[in-house]
Amino acid sequence: MIDYQYLIDYFEEFPFLIQLAWRISGLFLVAIFLLTIYLKVIRYHLRKKENEYKVFKNQYEALLVEYLYADEESEEAHTKQKAIISKIKSHIPIKYKRKMVLSVLYNLLNEVSGEMAESIKTLYYETGLIDYALTKLENKNWYVIAKGIGELRRFKIEESYGDIINFIEHSKKEVRNETQLYLVNLFRFDGLTFLNELKTPLSEWTQLQLLEVLQKFDDQQICDIKPWLKSKNDSVVLFALKLAQIYNQFEMKDILIELLSHDKKEIRICVIEVLTHLYGIEAKEMLKANFNELSIEEQISFFGLLEKLVVPSDEPFIEKHIFHKNFEIQLLALKILKTINLDKFMGLNKLSSNKKAPVMFKFVNNIS
Amino acid sequence: MGKHKIVIAEDNSTLSLLLKFRLEKEGHELLMAVDGKEAIELIENNKPDLVITDIMMPFVSGLEVISHIRNKLALEIPIIVFSAAGQEEMVLKAFKLGANDFMGKPFSPNELVIRVNRLLS
Repeated sequence: MIDYQYLIDYFEEFPFLIQLAWRISGLFLVAIFLLTIYLKVIRYHLRKKENEYKVFKNQYEALLVEYLYADEESEEAHTKQKAIISKIKSHIPIKYKRKMVLSVLYNLLNEVSGEMAESIKTLYYETGLIDYALTKLENKNWYVIAKGIGELRRFKIEESYGDIINFIEHSKKEVRNETQLYLVNLFRFDGLTFLNELKTPLSEWTQLQLLEVLQKFDDQQICDIKPWLKSKNDSVVLFALKLAQIYNQFEMKDILIELLSHDKKEIRICVIEVLTHLYGIEAKEMLKANFNELSIEEQISFFGLLEKLVVPSDEPFIEKHIFHKNFEIQLLALKILKTINLDKFMGLNKLSSNKKAPVMFKFVNNIS
Repeated sequence: MGKHKIVIAEDNSTLSLLLKFRLEKEGHELLMAVDGKEAIELIENNKPDLVITDIMMPFVSGLEVISHIRNKLALEIPIIVFSAAGQEEMVLKAFKLGANDFMGKPFSPNELVIRVNRLLS
């Protein structure tokens, strides 16, 4: 006791800053000690949970395989399947077990096709997992709804169409994105009908995702994209233009030409690019006549079109823009001139007074 | 058909189990590997009659497994590869390295059994 008192007295004789430093150090030591214990407890619980997870996963995988191969007409196999279903059903009210069951089912669904994939889907229904996914759609949190839609899409549950279509104009883009992916994944081109009424923007990322999904299907018979090209929603028009290009919609040329006078510059540029792809020769004279009223980006796109669709009668127009103020247009004009009249191109090389021009001529000359 | 030794290298444990169950039903003996490294060990130690391998696996890929079988071990055993969509180039590489057959995922396990039996006959 006396020793302690001596230590306390000794400590109190220290200057204030030293005392403070000692107090803080002590505090840190206690915190480190407590945190170490806390981490040990957490690690113990995580390892325990991981082991439980592994055991349950192994059990469940075995049950699943047994269920899938018991798919025979015999009464015995039928009873066995029912027993497996009720066993799994008893596990799924526990969230982490349900998550594990879902991940195993989904991983296998990705790898197998045919009757086995159908059996997995049946199991999804019969174990009641579908009800959990449908309940998520009624949740007030947007991220839960998005997860629910994603799950129903992965398991290809067409019956939930009526519930999911209501989210097509949801305020959160993540929910809209999931809804759109659900529709296209399950109903292919027919699923795109949501574009008819879509008022919210369709992001570039979503557009790419939808196109990727569409290209996976064997049946590439596209539906009528005319209403989307005429949509008031600019993002829908841009998406329809991508469809027109990918699916070679030559019959849409008239509407595309009308779109050359669209209010949005981005759309007009995209239209020129699509017309280039579709050999829209009809648009060429129209664009040539209005060339000076076009923006620089549109002019560049138009020269891209000319590069593909040029005819000898375009030569005077090309020649006129060889010394255009824009570098890209100059370059394209020279390339086109070289294609249609090599002699004139070589002659221009000698005549040019612009210091930078010989480099460009040399560059174009070396392009095969 | 006699009992054949088959090595399956697949990192999806559920799929492995499913194939093991199915092929054992056909009377084959199955050796399972979760990655390429384990597959090579199993092949070196057990001299199987057929190898089924996924292309994308941790540590050692399916392509390396094929190369090891053909070049280092100089074995002529049939090899079937699994590939996911978008791995066409990998499949071509696998054939160049000496694979005998391939199945694109998702696939039908029954079809795999037919191919396995055809290659073993």
